[in-house]
This record gives sequence, C-alpha cells and structure tokens, in this order.
Amino acid sequence: MKSSIVVAGAVGLLATQSWLATAPPVVRADDVTAMKNPYEGDPLRAAQGRSLFNQFCAHCHAPNAISPDPPKDLRRLRVRYAEKMPEVFYFTVTHGRPDKGMPNWTGILPDETLWTIFTFLQSVQSQP
Amino acid sequence: MLRLSAILAVSLAAIAALPVAGFAESGKSWIIYGGDQANTRFSTLSQVNTSNVNKLKVAWVVQLGSLEAQESTPLVIGDTLYVTTSGGPKYVYAINAKDGTPKWKYAPEIPADVQQTTCCGLDNRGVAFANDKLFVGRLDGYLVALDAKTGKELWKTQVVDYHEGAAITSPPTLAKDLVITGYAGGEYGIRGAITAYDQNTGKQVWRTYTVPVAGEPASETWPGDSWKHGGGAAWLVGSYDPKLNLVYYGTSNAAPWGASERGPDKSDYGKFVNLYTASTLALDVDTGKIVWYYQTTPYDTWDYDGVNELVLADLDINGKKTPVALKADRNGFFYVLNRQTGALISAQPFVTVNWAKSVDLETGRPIEVPDKRPRLDVWAKDICPNLFGGKNWEHMAFNPQTGLVYIPTFNLCMDLVGKKEEYKKGAFYLGEEWDLDKPGPGGFMSEMLAWDPINQKRVWGSKEELPIMGGALTTAGGLVFHGNIQGWFKALDAKTGSELWKFNAGSGISQGAITYELDGKQYVAVVTGRLKTPPSFLGHTGERIFASSAEGGALFVFELPN
Repeated sequence: MKSSIVVAGAVGLLATQSWLATAPPVVRADDVTAMKNPYEGDPLRAAQGRSLFNQFCAHCHAPNAISPDPPKDLRRLRVRYAEKMPEVFYFTVTHGRPDKGMPNWTGILPDETLWTIFTFLQSVQSQP
Repeated sequence: MLRLSAILAVSLAAIAALPVAGFAESGKSWIIYGGDQANTRFSTLSQVNTSNVNKLKVAWVVQLGSLEAQESTPLVIGDTLYVTTSGGPKYVYAINAKDGTPKWKYAPEIPADVQQTTCCGLDNRGVAFANDKLFVGRLDGYLVALDAKTGKELWKTQVVDYHEGAAITSPPTLAKDLVITGYAGGEYGIRGAITAYDQNTGKQVWRTYTVPVAGEPASETWPGDSWKHGGGAAWLVGSYDPKLNLVYYGTSNAAPWGASERGPDKSDYGKFVNLYTASTLALDVDTGKIVWYYQTTPYDTWDYDGVNELVLADLDINGKKTPVALKADRNGFFYVLNRQTGALISAQPFVTVNWAKSVDLETGRPIEVPDKRPRLDVWAKDICPNLFGGKNWEHMAFNPQTGLVYIPTFNLCMDLVGKKEEYKKGAFYLGEEWDLDKPGPGGFMSEMLAWDPINQKRVWGSKEELPIMGGALTTAGGLVFHGNIQGWFKALDAKTGSELWKFNAGSGISQGAITYELDGKQYVAVVTGRLKTPPSFLGHTGERIFASSAEGGALFVFELPN
C-alpha cells in the first residue's frame, strides 16, 4: 500500500473562513498505515466537522452521521477498520468508490476540510 | 392487437360518456403509469368492493431479483403484465398477468457508477406502452424502445450524459407519435430539459430547456451566470391532454438549494424568481414551445420541487365545468389550475405549512414568512413541510364518484441553513445544511388524506406512524388502496377512510397499486421493496424505518376467492 500521495496543507475553497485560516500540519503518507488525523480530539474541529459533514456528506451518509444503512453508516468506521481508519478514510475520499456511489472529493474539498470532517466522525464512533 | 383496440375503444367511450368527472379513466387494463392520460389512478372496476375486499387473498407472487427502492407501476396490456425493478432498472419483466409465468426479461447493462449521480436511490418507476413498443428511461441517461412481444431493444438514444449528475427515473409521456421525457439532476446543478423523440426511430424532434440561456425570455430572473447550473429537472411523469394538444411537466428545485447565488437571499426577491424552476409547464406537443407556466415556489430554497404529477379533471368551478389540473405540491399547497390557460383557480395548504401564509390569488405567488427562509449562514428552524414535501412522487388518485383526491402526505418539518459551495460536474451541489428528522404536529409522520378539490378542504385522514407511505389507487368499488413503509398493504373505504382490509407484504411499499380484469376476474397488484435512501435522510426516524421492514423486491397480486 505504498502511495505517493502527500497530504498537503489546505488551500482553496474554505481558506477564507477565519477558523480555517491557519494551515494544518503536513501529514506525510509515505507510510499510510501511520496516517494520523492532525486534529484528533480537537472539540472545536469536531463541531466544525459536523457542520461540514452535514453540508457535503449527509445526502448519502445521513445528517449527523446517523445512517440506518449499514454500508453507509460511518459510525462503524472504527469497528470496521480499527487503527487503519484514518488511512481508509483518506484513501476513500480522495479516490472515491464509484461503483458504491462514493465520489472522489479531490479538487472539491481540501485536505483541511477532510480532516476536520474526520475529526467529527471520530467523535461519533459506535462501540464494537 | 384486437384485444388492445377493444380496450382503447372502451376507454374512449368512457371519456365521451363522462359527465363532470375524470377526463379519462382506465378500463379493464392498466395501460399507462397514471392509469390514464389524465393521471387519475382511478379504475372503473368494481368486482372488488367495500363489501368483499376483506376476502382479498394472494393469487401469486413474483420475485423481482433486485433489492432496494422498488418504485415501479406495472402495466397490463392484454394478458401481459410489464414490471420494472430497482437498479435503474436492473430488469424489465413481461409476465403472464393471470398466473405470473415469465415471458421475457430485459436486463440492460447499466454502469455501476450511476450510483454517484443518482440522488435518491437506484430506482425506476416503470415503462410506457404504445403500438407494441415499450419505452423505458434509465439511470444512465438513455431512453430505449423495446419490442413488447420479445423484449428486444429496438432503439437506444442518449437523452443526457449521466456524468453531469443526471438520471432518468420515470416512464416517458406518449403523445401522438412522440415519446417525451425529462431527467433528474436538481441536486447536481444540471440544467433541466424536456425532450421529444420519434417513437419509431428514437430521433429527437424537439427539446425545451426548463432554464433559459442568458438573453432568452425569462433569463432576467437569474443573476449573472447562475442559470448555467440552475436545476429545474423534470424528473417525474408528465400528463397529456390530447384535446388541448398540451403535455404537462413539473420542474424541480432551483440549484443549488442554497439561494444566495441565485438572487438577493431574502423573501423580497423581486424579479429573481429563477424561471422555470419549481413550476408546472404546459408544452405544445408538436413544437415543445412553453404555452403557459405556473411557478409554485418562486426563488425556491427549501427543495420544494414542483414535479408532482398533475391530475387532469373537469370540475364544476362556480357552476361552470372547467378543465382543471390538480397538484398537491411539495410546498404543501394544493393547487387547482385551469389547464388550458394556466390561470390559478385556488390554492390551499393540505398539510401543516408555515413557510408561507397563503398564496395570493392575484399574483399567484406565495406570501412568505421571512423567518422560515434559510439564508447564507442564517438558520431557519422548524420549517413545515420539510424537503420531502407535503407530498412527494408517491402518486395521488382522483375518484370521480366521490369527487375526492386521495393524497399520500408527509407530516414532517426541518431546519435549513444556506452555505457557500462551488459547482463541480457530477458532484452534489446543495449549498445547504439540513436536519429533516422533525415530526410535525400530532405525533404521526404521514397520512392518507381525502381532499375535496373544489372546496379545498380535508374530508378524512388515515394516519400512519412512520413517514414515506405508498401512492394511492382508487376504484369504482368504493375503495382506496395504499401501502406503507412497514410493508402493510391496505384497503380503505373511499368515503370514510375506515380500514377494511390489510395484508403484510413483508417489505415497504412506496408505489401505488394497480388493478385489472382478466377473463372476468379482477386482480389488484402492488410492488413491494422498502426504500433505502430517503429514509437515510431522517436520522433516528430512518433507523426506525429500517427496523420496521427488510429490503425486498416482489410483485404481489391479489384476487377474491372463487
């Protein structure tokens, strides 16, 4: 699972909003299994992520991630992927799963937004 | 063919003989999605009626071989029943209408990635039939003609590139020698169009865009380039009035849902009404020219699509028989329009409505409650109805004998806020955050409503605990049939709403039932298979819906015991 992806600092769409004005730490994906959310545990990011999730993801994954449909229920990411959860998340949103209905968000949402959304998702994981 | 001619003769005779009722009605067969060109879903059959419906039992069942989102209305032509499945469709089946024996199936290759550009489930609502041909629109943007005897593909035409975020979910409208279709895509910023093709060749005859290009009439209703991704998708079925030579289609929400790029982002929107979104359009059959339009939700930001089916009827309005079109709109108002001129006759709320006080009969415009219009980064809370609408695509039915319209309604409210969003081809383009899991007043979430369209008032209601109930069928047997999301299929008394019979079909029922007669026996048929995507919008209520019945895909056919 070597990848040349470099998760770079966020530019673009949402950078003008004050709460996103600071560049996030650079996460290198040379060793994707070690991929880590730069905002992990940050409650402000989780709250912002909830709002972004509800704008961009909820049409398929349900508002506040309360999806009744198991394949689309992102509260089960930790149960499914455990420590690989960040890596699977990042790979999926930046490549899509076209045959499952998941678009590739590259060029639409910058990495900062993706990790902000991920911070929210980490806060709503169901117990195994 | 002889049999069909006889059926047509019967239904033509019925049209001529009708006094002040439905402008057409189905005979012994079910030859068109809405039961007749007027979309009434009324059947003249009365062998099954209020006195014996409690004896109804299953005659046979066909498994459809596809799960999720069964939204198909079967057709019955002669002794053949045609039914499509979910999956865009995954299959079109021709089966013996008497015992369910398969005759042929059509299994198109539909690319799996249509899931990305299909907002609300991998559905298909059925086929249209004429001259031994079936016409079916597909989620990959193609319209195809099939030989009704063999299922062989006769021609295939691309209506729209699905990569744009478009899909065809509903059967086309047939008028003269044309096959007319719209497409979905209001959630992806497509520009809507209605297109007519030659039934024999699939060649395009005309195309009318529902959103004008800059410089065209009505383009002044869009600021800047906002028209380019303005929505106005005609994704549900049309209606046809052969006498007026008009075909009618409704159009979806303006795109994106968030309105800040499409106008001044306030209730005092002036000229920025974003034509012809959230409207009913009357098109000349021969040219596609827009003869009249009526916009139900100007400058929409609530996702109040204007697509709901028009039911055509001739009603006594102030002592004068008037050709009307009836529409129970997503926005919660029931509209009666003169279908010749487009003039508004009346509009009243048929569910709890609080985004607008009323509809001004002079201007035809809703009088908005400004607090209930979400704006950029400003929440509007507890807006009723929610974006599923007072009614969605699930069909209503008009019974000329009771004079009532039977409407499958929602009782849900929502919170919305506008957001900035960039357009990208094929991606969701909503520009709003939303919370839909807000039951309306009264503790129920949907209701089969009997509505008097002349006096614009409620006559009775049959409440359902969970939302997303099935469409209606009404018959000369004094009955209203409908299903619910838990999978119960019910017969109600058309006059009182009292429940006369029910059957657990095991998976949610969304589409309306049909009825037909073969060899002197009346059958009632309904497709089951619970929806997945729309319930997912509802959070905890969605979890209750998923718990209430399993996914499925089956056609149930009922009869009276011999």
